[in-house]
Amino acid sequence: MSRMRFSKSMFQRRFHRRLLVVAVIFSAAFLVLLGRAVQLQLLDQEFLARQGDARHLRVAPIAAHRGMITDRHGEPLAVSTPVDSIWVNPKQLLEASDRVGELARALGRPSDRLLGLLTQNPDREFFYLTRHMPPYKAEAILDLEIPGVYTQREYRRYYPAGEVAGHVIGFTNIDDQGLEGLELAYDPWLSGQPGAKRVLRDRLGRAIENVESIRAPQAGRDLMTSLDLRIQYLAYRALKSMVQQQSARAGSVVILDVVTGEVLAMVNQPGYNPNDRRRFDVARFRNQAATDLFEPGSSFKPFIIAAALESGRYQADSFIDTSPGYIIVGAKTIEDKRNLGRVPITRVLTKSSNVGASRIALSLDAPQLWSVLDSFGFGQLTSSGFPGESAGLLNHHEHWREIGQAVLAYGYGLSVTPLQLAQAYAIFGAGGLKRPVSLIAVEEPPAAVRVISAATAASVMQMMETVVGPEGTARKAKLAGYRVAGKTGTVRKAAAGGYAENRYTAVFGGLAPASRPRLAIVVAIHEPGNGVYYGGEVAAPVFAEVAAGALRVLGVAPDETPADTADQRVIQAMSRP
Amino acid sequence: MSAARRATQALPLPPGRQLDPWLTGATLALVTLGLIMVTSASITSADRELGAPFQYLIRQSLYLGAGGVAAAVCYLIPLRVWERGAFFLLLGAFVLLLMVLIPGVGREVNGSTRWLPMGPVNLQVSEPARLMILIFISSYVTRRSKVLAETLGGFMKPVGIVAAACVLLLAEPDFGAATVLFATCLGVLFAGGVRLRYFFSLAATALLALAALALTSPYRVRRLTAFMDPWADPYDAGFQLTQSLIAIGRGEWIGVGLGGSVQKLFYLPEAHTDFVFAVYAEELGLIGVIALVLLYGLVVWRALTVAARCIDRGHIFAGCLSFGIGSWLGAQAAINIAVNMGMLPTKGLTLPLVSFGGSSLVVCCAAIGLVLRASAECNRPPNRSRGRSS
Repeated sequence: MSRMRFSKSMFQRRFHRRLLVVAVIFSAAFLVLLGRAVQLQLLDQEFLARQGDARHLRVAPIAAHRGMITDRHGEPLAVSTPVDSIWVNPKQLLEASDRVGELARALGRPSDRLLGLLTQNPDREFFYLTRHMPPYKAEAILDLEIPGVYTQREYRRYYPAGEVAGHVIGFTNIDDQGLEGLELAYDPWLSGQPGAKRVLRDRLGRAIENVESIRAPQAGRDLMTSLDLRIQYLAYRALKSMVQQQSARAGSVVILDVVTGEVLAMVNQPGYNPNDRRRFDVARFRNQAATDLFEPGSSFKPFIIAAALESGRYQADSFIDTSPGYIIVGAKTIEDKRNLGRVPITRVLTKSSNVGASRIALSLDAPQLWSVLDSFGFGQLTSSGFPGESAGLLNHHEHWREIGQAVLAYGYGLSVTPLQLAQAYAIFGAGGLKRPVSLIAVEEPPAAVRVISAATAASVMQMMETVVGPEGTARKAKLAGYRVAGKTGTVRKAAAGGYAENRYTAVFGGLAPASRPRLAIVVAIHEPGNGVYYGGEVAAPVFAEVAAGALRVLGVAPDETPADTADQRVIQAMSRP
Repeated sequence: MSAARRATQALPLPPGRQLDPWLTGATLALVTLGLIMVTSASITSADRELGAPFQYLIRQSLYLGAGGVAAAVCYLIPLRVWERGAFFLLLGAFVLLLMVLIPGVGREVNGSTRWLPMGPVNLQVSEPARLMILIFISSYVTRRSKVLAETLGGFMKPVGIVAAACVLLLAEPDFGAATVLFATCLGVLFAGGVRLRYFFSLAATALLALAALALTSPYRVRRLTAFMDPWADPYDAGFQLTQSLIAIGRGEWIGVGLGGSVQKLFYLPEAHTDFVFAVYAEELGLIGVIALVLLYGLVVWRALTVAARCIDRGHIFAGCLSFGIGSWLGAQAAINIAVNMGMLPTKGLTLPLVSFGGSSLVVCCAAIGLVLRASAECNRPPNRSRGRSS
């Protein structure tokens, strides 16, 4: 019994001893663990956090909203809406290649083509699949949770006015950079600064949270153009219907506000829809009103008359002899349609006498004539700032020969853009003052430069009113209720080695209302194909339609007296407050 | 009289003082932390892969309920029952370990056949087998303490049995479970009085064998080298460990906050099972780590205290079992945490009572129940039964 008790206590003592050893080992082990935790969490913390950040943190771009383009009343002409682009990491997606079919179905694409696309780019880490999807569709695809499929927020440009303002506004490329028109000209103004942010990503590449903003995106600024969408639409509709009716190749209309120099409308045919990029026809993108040159023909004659009056050799009531209905200059015979005889210089415009205009031009000093034409802005870029605008051509007088000076009188041997011509006509309306044209809405009329005396301008205006009168060439430019001043032009198109026999440009430049001019309008229609090609027949009706509508839209009071036709009563009633 | 006494002893509640408050408290704290951390670590991946963010919380809660039942059952059954049935438990353990190796019966996951499908759940056989073998070794020490203390044969017999079980575990393969089983049983034999020279020669042999085993399998070699310098190959072999270290490092003093772990967002594999500690350390920081280690220290301390008291009272089986369970839970926790912190090669061991996993949780709860039972039994007034019988 006592031996057993002894051995039992031996066992107990040994157990206790060894238990103590184990307890010490555990204590030591736990202390070592805590030491290691201190090392990792406090001492190596910086290294580990950096390693973590290298895996978790990425710099992601934030797309900036591009500024809106509006007309002068704030109507949107170009707006950016958020869209999502689907991109893939082919490497990751190919690892789950069994889901490519699912993705293809969601995108509405053939599965084998998509797989082919991916296998051709196995080493890339970024590959656009679909650009500019509506966000709800992109979200549906993201919800499939296919590995390696991501979205990117972008902005897509929409042009609510479509074709109507397409040439002026231009468009952006898919990366939101201006390519044409005002989108290009004002790209730095419109485009924002894309921002950057640091995001925390999970291992699947999804942003979990924004850690910090490195650079906030700066939204682009809005641009208010000088266009009046209502007038723009009127011009678009009138031009389009005339171009179609006459089977013309092309046409342009420019409408300027005489008081401010702003472009109220600028349209061309054929047009294009900037929202539809599938049909890419570069030739249609040109804003011909600013970029395409033509010889102004007879619509240039008012400037010769203005130079003549400015020279002091002619008065408003001076006469010029156009007999016998032609003159021979060098090897060229300049003809009128019929012999007008000795006529007041007004008749030179009313009847569009080439002989009269040439005689006058030849009687003037070349430097003086050139200087007046130059100050009207011919041969120079306007201040519109439109990309690709043409300066036109006006030879320096030193290069003129007699024949050059003679044909210049009826608008050959120089070239202009519709915009340039409209700017020059506006000078008559502004009492001889030249205001810089602007495609951007201006708050106050900019400083003007005097080009011709007010008296000269008023005389030419009066003379041009006769063109629309009963004996003039542009009776179809007449407006009910408004007096109109203008000049037609019917120009043979220059072709290789001379002038084409049956290709014409019909031009009309005009101002309304003539008593207190508000609008300067130039209509140019190229190559009417139905046998009718006179400026008075093809261009003048467009002017009339556009001017009548625009004056109503602008609420300009009629100035024609007496007002006794039914039409005019209606117009007066409408313009009353 | 004897029948009456038996009836008294079979009463549902053990005599003496009730539940050990420290052990109970530490256990409840650990399983609660476990529920929270399993939820936090799995919520994103569960949402993505299963479409149910709380799937793991729900399952772990059910397992915890089962674990509570298991603990209660173990607490209510007198230890004598286990002691007497120890041989059958040993047989049962071997049956389980063999069954899982039969092709078509055991379920293979990630190249290891460790699970027996049992209806809706899978049983990881090494978990119950470990406890069953531990009970057998404790009973062996109780019966043969004299032989164990004096002869090599008395030592080598249980070692042989444990080694056989380890061979079966290695066949799964489950290197971690084999290590823990062998170390724990060796610890019980050590405390049970084996001669030190036998013990140390065997320990040395075992270490050599382990090293040899580790080096013979290419995948273990790869794990070993990755563990030596995880940053040498952070995107392949060292991937899991570097992600774990990053998670722990991000924790700093107070952690990134509960739910704030980034590493659990698909960076760290096994975030809710073997590497839940890393997510815990990231979210709760060094303060949390200290608290967790202290909780495990408390469990070990209470188990060893119970063991010492049982030995003092002459309850050798209860003492050895408590000692074994305490060492097992402490060792497994320490190894798991050490693996998470890159101090030991990756093993595939769970963090006891905390990691997600039904088999581990239920068996750990049962083990705690056994220690609580031992504590209650040896708190019985020492001379009560003897005094009445004499």
